[in-house]
Amino acid sequence: MRGGLLRALRRESVFYVFAIPFAALTIIFGLWPIVLSVITSFTASASALKPVPVYVGLANYAAILHDPLFFSSLGLTLLYAVLAVAANLGVALAYAVLLDSPLLAGARGFFKLAMFLPVVTPDVAGYVVWRWLYDQSFGALNAFLHLVGLPAFGGVASPATAMLAVLVAELWHHAGFYAVIFLANLAVCERALEEAADIDGARPWQKFVYVVLPQLRPAIVINLVYALIQFLKTFTVVVVMTKGGPSGATNFLSYYAYQFFDQARYGEATAMATVLFAIVLLAATAVYALGERGRV
Amino acid sequence: MKRIIAYVIASAASIFFLYPYLWMLVSSFRTTAAVLRNPLRWWPERFDLSGFESILQMGDLSLLRAMVNSLAITGASTLLAVLATALGAYAMTRRPQAMAFRLLRYGFLMTMMYPYMLLVIPVYIVVYKLGLLGGYAGIVLFLAVGPIQFFLFEQFFRTLPAEVIEAATIDGAGEAAILFRVVLPMARPVVATVAIITFLLNWAQWFPVLVISTDADTWTLPVALLNVNGELGTNFQGIMALAVVTTIPVALLFLAAQRQVMQGMTEGAVKG
Repeated sequence: MRGGLLRALRRESVFYVFAIPFAALTIIFGLWPIVLSVITSFTASASALKPVPVYVGLANYAAILHDPLFFSSLGLTLLYAVLAVAANLGVALAYAVLLDSPLLAGARGFFKLAMFLPVVTPDVAGYVVWRWLYDQSFGALNAFLHLVGLPAFGGVASPATAMLAVLVAELWHHAGFYAVIFLANLAVCERALEEAADIDGARPWQKFVYVVLPQLRPAIVINLVYALIQFLKTFTVVVVMTKGGPSGATNFLSYYAYQFFDQARYGEATAMATVLFAIVLLAATAVYALGERGRV
Repeated sequence: MKRIIAYVIASAASIFFLYPYLWMLVSSFRTTAAVLRNPLRWWPERFDLSGFESILQMGDLSLLRAMVNSLAITGASTLLAVLATALGAYAMTRRPQAMAFRLLRYGFLMTMMYPYMLLVIPVYIVVYKLGLLGGYAGIVLFLAVGPIQFFLFEQFFRTLPAEVIEAATIDGAGEAAILFRVVLPMARPVVATVAIITFLLNWAQWFPVLVISTDADTWTLPVALLNVNGELGTNFQGIMALAVVTTIPVALLFLAAQRQVMQGMTEGAVKG
């Protein structure tokens, strides 16, 4: 009897042994940094890396709340996130519906491949190429616009067009991912319902809005959550293409926070990080909750 | 007619997705002066290799070193990711009620919600405290956990028929034997999918590599590219050449395993 119990215990403990590497990595490189980040946001920057940091309470939060640049950066981030989410999901949904239609039967595989290649291309490489495509003297884009007699596009050189230029480059990189999720959802849609709508004489757009769209709710919720998290923290494209400029036109919050980190102002940087984390968490949970309740 | 319109739209979209690759390739073989004269060409006037020669040595970092770094860091972190995540997800799906595992899963999900770029700042502090700043170990360990990997494994182990494990238990196999002799051989396809996707994702990583590095010795290709792109006195042809070197390996891997990659990334995302 005692032998049996020992054997059973040993059998159970083996699962904990299996989980040790994963648990260690998650704790050391996931949970500990988050806790540390929150703690650091309450300390003086100069002491953040010292064994005994100096706690300053909410001083870092007060500092960023008195920083007008923080609010303009926050506003810019929210505006960009809304525009980028709408553009990416709109394009991805329209393109997925097109690829799903029997009209493209033969070449669907190729079109899917073309759309997904940018997703797995290293983002730095993709954005570097886009940065030069937009260039006034090297760029193919303005050379092409000139060729067909259209006015030049300012790209990342002009404050008026920088956000659009960044958005298009990000669309190129991300839209394929959202599109394959829509495609996976479209593949399990009930075709009989569409046929019934056809028999009832529904117009194509009515069929789309009342029959197809409601069935795509799972993909819409997933994509909304992913896209919100993605575009609220837009970073790489800014580092590669604009450095937050010109004149702060693309100075999104994660890049603004990073500049503080770069100047060793860890306290303010982590305070901003915590604020952005709260916003992302709130937005993602809100969308998820609304989606589950059937409002999205 | 509808067919033609559909093809025109899809072709236009494909040009949008693919033209940057063509332009990058063609520009990497054309002299900077030639590109300035005419940025739009479908094919180089002649194949000029000076762009590739110019990036063989980039300041302190040789191209060879950056390539070896990329391969080593991506390879090691992929191997570690597959091993640690497979074992962890297996244990957690076999004993879903265990308190420790429920806490671990919850904690893991939370780290995945944290904006990645912002996690890197405190990770710098953690790596500093562990004394791993400037080495390969810190980079590899940091890159070894990700959500898609975990969800793909979890999903596979959940659909594993209970009879398989029962049968092996009745035959007197211990848990380790069940995992290594019965379950993992069955999991070969999902292991391959996770390995390929992790390789693709980690090859592209640049921010953790840059933050944990203390000099160019541990830089990977994307970090080198970022650095060359940011230099004053633009070496346009060299930048395009380095972008080609950074892109080609993963583009080929994706083309070879396209169905697995697209399906795996969809499933990994839908579960999360």
